[in-house]
Order: sequence, then structure tokens, then C-alpha cells
Amino acid sequence: MRLWYPLVLSLALASHAVAQTAAPQAGQTPAPAGQAAAQAGLNEDAVPAVMQRAVDEVIRPGYRNAQQSAARLTTAMKDLCDKGTPGSLDKAKSAFDDIIRYWSAIEMVQVGPVIQDNLFEHILFYPDRKGVGLRQVQTLIAKADPKDTTVDAIASKSVALQGLTALEYVLYGTGSEDLTNQKSGFRCLYGAAVAGNIQREAAEVVAAWEKPDGIQASWKHPGPQSADFMDNKEAVTALLGTLVHGAENVRDQRLEQFYKGKDTTPRPKMAIYWRSKNTWKSMTSNLEGLRNLWQKAEMADLLPSDKKPVADAIDAKLKSLLETVPKLNPDIEVATSDAEKAKLDQLLVDTRDLVTMISDNYGAAIGLSAGFSFSDGD
Amino acid sequence: MIRSAAIDRRSFVKAAGLTFLAALPPRALMALERADAVYASGVRQANGSFAVATVSERGEIIDQVALPARSHGMAFSAATGKTVAFARRPGTYAMIFDPHGKTKPIVITAAENRHFYGHGAFSPDGRILYASENDFDGNRGMIGLYDATHRFERIGEFETYGVGPHDMTVSDDGRMLVVANGGIETHPDFGRTKLNLGNMQPSLTLVDAATGALIEKHTLPAEWAQVSTRHVDVDDSGRIWFACQYEGRRNDLPPLVGCFAKGEDLRFVDLPEETTRRLANYVGAIAVNRKDGLVGVTSPKGGASVTIDAISGRVLREEIVPEAAGIAPASTGFAVSSYEGDFLGQRSDVAWDQHIVRIAPSRRV
Repeated sequence: MRLWYPLVLSLALASHAVAQTAAPQAGQTPAPAGQAAAQAGLNEDAVPAVMQRAVDEVIRPGYRNAQQSAARLTTAMKDLCDKGTPGSLDKAKSAFDDIIRYWSAIEMVQVGPVIQDNLFEHILFYPDRKGVGLRQVQTLIAKADPKDTTVDAIASKSVALQGLTALEYVLYGTGSEDLTNQKSGFRCLYGAAVAGNIQREAAEVVAAWEKPDGIQASWKHPGPQSADFMDNKEAVTALLGTLVHGAENVRDQRLEQFYKGKDTTPRPKMAIYWRSKNTWKSMTSNLEGLRNLWQKAEMADLLPSDKKPVADAIDAKLKSLLETVPKLNPDIEVATSDAEKAKLDQLLVDTRDLVTMISDNYGAAIGLSAGFSFSDGD
Repeated sequence: MIRSAAIDRRSFVKAAGLTFLAALPPRALMALERADAVYASGVRQANGSFAVATVSERGEIIDQVALPARSHGMAFSAATGKTVAFARRPGTYAMIFDPHGKTKPIVITAAENRHFYGHGAFSPDGRILYASENDFDGNRGMIGLYDATHRFERIGEFETYGVGPHDMTVSDDGRMLVVANGGIETHPDFGRTKLNLGNMQPSLTLVDAATGALIEKHTLPAEWAQVSTRHVDVDDSGRIWFACQYEGRRNDLPPLVGCFAKGEDLRFVDLPEETTRRLANYVGAIAVNRKDGLVGVTSPKGGASVTIDAISGRVLREEIVPEAAGIAPASTGFAVSSYEGDFLGQRSDVAWDQHIVRIAPSRRV
């Protein structure tokens, strides 16, 4: 590897030109509202407060909630292993529902510490299209090696064995009756180790976000000293990207994973958390997480006054979705039956609309063309 | 051979045929008549739908062909005139069309367990279309081979010998495929999420176009393992120019542009710090103007285009282009587009996508 040392570098530095493209001339075709609104300019004065609220009121509390929930889950799993009673199983399942709720509310954040060292996949391995992960879990349980009942042992194994979907199989999968048939059985101890691993991974993410001079400072103070954003525009683009990709995830990676429309064959067992009937609860929390970010960060503050209807439309769409999704049948076999398909078709439309509203309408209205590209690898 | 702009225009008009010309609206016909050459680029229209547009040398839209979904990179065969719009990753379609409207477009879909990565190139004789693809279960970069003489039937595949291939091109003699393996693992189950930012493996590979054998593989030094090598073009001497996107700390100053030739080490262009900052650690497109001996790059994130002397590596010009998108060689210098609808200074009612291809009969521009 060699660096290029131009013979006349000093001359180059002195002579290269920097030009500004000409503004559109009078009489040129005006750009459409959706594509040229970026020229209205970003309300930079409002950005720091939005970023601060996103970090301090949404992201940090979101991860802390998930970590605390994971700690409760670990305690509940250990209690289940000690007692092996139906009551302790109910409590462990309740704690599992709880972590699904809190994790789903913050999983929209897929940048920063959570994607370092595959922490995200360690906490949630999904989808498992070919059932490879499921077979790994089944094999590990069948083998019942006592060495596989510690957090350290689990942390060194395949991601499919480490996270929420593995624990769901422990609690709800074939053979889960063993949890109350025997105390301190392998299945339960493995589940407790998985819970402990989730707790530890979540704690790593929390620690990174809680470090005062770490990513939280970088996010709240865009500029040359920031490791993430050189200016307000980059910061808002990333925040908008979190919202847009979160909404896309609800539609593309969650709903369409098992239902792509009335003319396609549903695959209910591809739905996330179908065993524990948490599919829609998780999606509801996904949407609540998006609404939290949108409302608690007060992202609507970035809109010019004449564009407030854009925010109203997003509020209304989120409200509508949050009323609809919890009412869907928790049995995904039933939810995807012919009699119920119309509801899912409407959900496909509504989630698509939500993405468009956030990405195109809001993005353009605050002065970004970010809805078209997030500079994410094209 | 240097082709003049006038020859480009005549050959285009001649090839376009009466049917295509008759179908053009009067305003577009005026644009065509004024055209010195033409380009093609993906667009998003004002109503949110996607298309590929042909464009005059003045940046005026001549015609648009609807696409099933958002496109990304383009390929053009000077031998046959066929042009391809590849789906944006992790898309599964590519549409081949005749920009002159003589034949109906063909849409091909990616093979099972493969998706397109957004770029491709024709063999010089136009008989084979190569496409960068992902074997997502095997986490291997692949090159799909499509028979352009038989409705683009998939006839085979080669490895790219890397992870996450993005852009690719073909040497002028057709013997060598040049691939930019961005080094980033993705999987369609996770959309556009990057799965291995802590363990990236960027590389540039030269692959034998006849056998698929690896000729050379150039990796990056460990300190720049998060420099994703993403786009390539070839200059008149056969030298390969590459452009990068950096996945590390935003306030680092990584190398973003470089070049090499077969048998040589990679060399990074030592861009002035000010220029590197202007490119915002993210070069979205690169193009070579062979006639002028220039290399051009754009950065949508930095809102800039930069022109580099291909001989000395000197930065000759920097231009502030808000939301800069594609770049392609123009009769002089480069044509640059933007998400905001600008193309060579013309504003259109579209958002231009990230790449432009020059649909001229010769690469000698």
C-alpha cells in the first residue's frame, strides 16, 4: 500500500477551485413540493434540543428499561429453576412478555453501541428462515450438557442460542412442560443463562449510552468534535433515518416476514414470537417506540409553521395503528386465515403510508431530501 | 478514437428511429434535437414512483421508462445500445431497455438465494451482462452472468472473492472483471442493515472474465478496515479508480479515492484535508472522463463534486452541489446530478438517483 504523493501537491492545494452551483434561474421549472422543499432549509436552531430530547428522553431510558426488564427476567428464571412450580412459570412468562415489550420499544435504534460486536443479534436473533437457529436450540437442550448453563458459556455460542427467540423456545416450545416437572432441570438453567446473557448485553449498551463523554455527547453536540455528526443536518438525517427504518422494519421485516398480501401464502410460523403470542404485542411496542421518538423528541418542532399538518397526519396514523394492531388475533394461524386477511392487508397499506409520511412528507418539509437517500451505502 | 459530440448526437438520432421520435412529446423532441449526447439515470418522480430517464447533454429529460421499484446503478453496451437499470440493494430485479425505444424492456429477477447489489457491466461485445450479486446465506459476493443474446438468461456465476460487492466494471479488452467488494455483510432478512461494521473486509478484486478465477485481490491496511471500497471506473490507460465510504468515526479523515493497475499496489490519492472533509467520508459515485484525463467524484452527504487530474492526482476543482447524486463524463468535464432535480444545471421535476451512465457509442469520453 502506498499513498499518492502528487509531484505538485502544494500547487494543487493553492490552485484548485471551489465553485458554488448556480441557484435555479427565474423561469426554470419549479421543483415539486415533495422534492424541492429541501431548499426551504433546515431549522438548525431547533435541532440541538430535538437531539438532546431524543437521547435523554427516548434512547437512554429505552435501553435502561430493557436492561432492568432483563434483570427481572433473570431473577424470574432463576426462581423458576429453584421452584419449578406453575406459579413461578407464570411469573417467568410474564417477565418474558415484559422484556419483549421493552426491547421492542427501543429496537428501532440500530446504530451506535447496539450494532457493535453484534450485540443486537445476540439479544434478538430473527428471522430464522431455514430453522437453523431453532435446530441449534433443540440440539443444545437435547444434549443437556451442564456446561451450557452459564452466561459465559452461552455468550460464546451461536447468536441463535443467546437471545430472546431462544428463550421463547425454552418457555413455550416443545418440551417446555419439563420446566414444571423438575427443579433445576437443564432446560430451565439454560433459559436462565440466556436471560442473564440478555441482561449483560443490554447492560453493555446502557453503559455506552450513559457514558457522559461518549455517544450521548456526540449525538447531542454535532460538530467537528463529534464522532457521529459533523453538523445539525447530519444529526437530524440520522434521527429521521432511525424513525424511517424503524417504520420500514415493522412492515418489511416483521409483517411481510409472514404475510405479504392476500394473493400470497402466509407463513405464520415465521412470525416473530408466535409461540408466546407476542407477535402483535411486539409490533405494538415497535410502534410505541416510534411514537415515543417522534413525540418525546418533539421532532415536529423542526417543521415550519405552515407544515404542521404533516405532523398531525403522522400523529393520526400512529394513533390509528396503535388502536388497530393490539386488536389483531394473537394466534397468527388465525390472524392470517382468509377471514382475517383484510385486516392484514389494511395493515400493509397503513404501515406503508406511515413510512411515506415520515420519510417523504416530513423529511421534505423540514428541509431534507433524506427520504430519498440516507447515504447508507449506495 | 475521440468521438465528437456531433457524432454522438447523429448516431443517437439515427438509432432512435421514427417510432421513438414520434412518441416523444414536442418538448422532449426539442431537447433531443438539441442534444449533444445522452445519459440515463434512475429517478424518483414527483408522485413517488420510480423510472429511468434518458437525458440530453443539456440535462433535459428526453424520455422515461417506468421501473417496478427503485433502481441504482446503470450499465450500457456501446456494442448493442442496450442499457440496464439495476435494482437498489437488496433488490431482485434488473430492467434491460433500449433507450431508443426499438425493443420492449426486459425485466430479469435475481436467482434463488441471490439478490442484486445495484451494479453491473456489459462485456465489450455486448454479449454478456455481468451483475454484482449477493449469496446471502453463504455471505459471498458473486457476479451473475447473463446471456444478452438470449433474453438475458442467467448462464452462470463467478465469485467476487470478497464480501458485499457493490460496483463492478469490465476491462476494455473484456478479459478482466473489476469488483469493489465493500466488505460489508448484509442479508435481505435485515433490509439494508450492515451486519459486520466491526469486522469489515473491504477489497478490490480482479477476476478472469473467462474462467472466474481470481487474478488479484487487494485488501486495505488494518487501520482503514472500515473504508468500504464501493465504486470503480477505468481510465484510458487501464488504471482502475476506486471510491470509498467510511464507516468509522465521522471526524476521522480516511482516504476516500485511490487507483491501481493490474500488478500494482493500491494507491490512495492524498486529498487535501479540506477536500476530504468536503466529501464527508462518503463518496457516492465516481467517473472517469478519458478524453480529458479526469476523475470525478460526488458526495451526497457532503454536497460536493470533486475533479481530480488522473495523471498527477491533483484536485483541480471542487464544486458545492447540494444533495449531489450521479456523475458521468460529459463532452468537457462531468455531468453531475442531484437528488433535488438538478442535472447539468437543469432543474427537473424528479429526484435523480445515485448514478448516471453515458449512453454514447464510445467510452472514449
